[in-house]
Amino acid sequence: MSDTTHDNHDGKVHAHISSWRFLVAIFFTLIFLTFVTVQVSYYDFGSFNTVVALVVATIKASLVSLFFMHLRYDKWFNGFIFVMAFVFLGIFLLLTSDDIFTRGQIDYVNGRTRLERSGAIAPGALEPDPETPHEQAGHGASSAGTHSQTSEHH
Amino acid sequence: MAASHHAHDDEHPKFLAHHFDTPEQQFDTAKFGMWVFIVTEILMFGGLFVAYGIYKSEDPHLFHRAHLELNRIMGAVNTVVLLFSSLTAALAVRSSQLGKKDQTTMWLVITILCACVFLVVKYFEYTAKLEHGFLPGRCFGHPWFGDHCTDRTAATAHPIPVHHLPSRANVFFALYFMMTGLHGVHVLVGMGILIWVTRRNLRGDFSKEYFTPVEIGALYWHLVDLVWIYLFPLLYLVG
Repeated sequence: MSDTTHDNHDGKVHAHISSWRFLVAIFFTLIFLTFVTVQVSYYDFGSFNTVVALVVATIKASLVSLFFMHLRYDKWFNGFIFVMAFVFLGIFLLLTSDDIFTRGQIDYVNGRTRLERSGAIAPGALEPDPETPHEQAGHGASSAGTHSQTSEHH
Repeated sequence: MAASHHAHDDEHPKFLAHHFDTPEQQFDTAKFGMWVFIVTEILMFGGLFVAYGIYKSEDPHLFHRAHLELNRIMGAVNTVVLLFSSLTAALAVRSSQLGKKDQTTMWLVITILCACVFLVVKYFEYTAKLEHGFLPGRCFGHPWFGDHCTDRTAATAHPIPVHHLPSRANVFFALYFMMTGLHGVHVLVGMGILIWVTRRNLRGDFSKEYFTPVEIGALYWHLVDLVWIYLFPLLYLVG
């Protein structure tokens, strides 16, 4: 896996040297993929547009990192920390989305325990208080909020 | 590292810092440090990419309308320029590994020239965006150059907007300028690094045994390319 370390005990640097033909071939593959992603962008796949663009971009990024940046011939740990950057970026995106797109579904301060669209009990919400009959399926979450607020101030 | 036991203590090359046992250890340490730095760079850009994702999903239609204002031909040209510069950077490393000093210089200079071309194209793009009133802020909708906006009273100086995007489209262009701007700063820094590497190469610092700065400088340059590989489709193609 690693040309840098295997069977070399003389302490000298033994980095992999790519042939120029190979590097040029990688370059033309990257140009081809750029052409593909531009052409594809003229067609509308709806919400899959972004997915297609990201898949092509990731293939291109993999080619650059594996061969231009020599990760293919590098110590495995360098590749590992590089991949971990994307893992943590994924966690960042996931938790941020989870926060932003579920705000207003459960909001005890405003008395919201139901999903805005369906009126069903939001996942993770406490059982609705039986003494607040206004909060029923079908009611908008915002109206449920005002009702329960008024009942609190009895 | 097993290598240290076999190192020749009497052979201590000039390029080997005293706190390393062997050139190999020094090379691996430099690369490891660079990869960790690359991770921090990805996470810095990551914040902007996450912001892009969140705002795009909140109003995909607006992002779509706004992204049509970007020039995807210029974006594609810059993509090809950066990919080519990545190739020449990789070839510079190869030449350096083979100890071919003049070739290394040539590839490094070509890489730097590509960086210049990229920035020139970017300059024309930015100028067009400012003229067409896409600079986010109070002047959004009004051309930036000329007798308006200098006193921050764009709406009175230029009551008729030059485009018909809603002011919410500010968000797209704020992200556009931040992401491409931060990337542009990286292009400038990359140029500085490559110029420094070229100077050292001309001075004869590098050899088959020691080419670490060429390798590390090229890694930085490839990172600039990597970021653009994602910026281009997300901003110019799918919006």
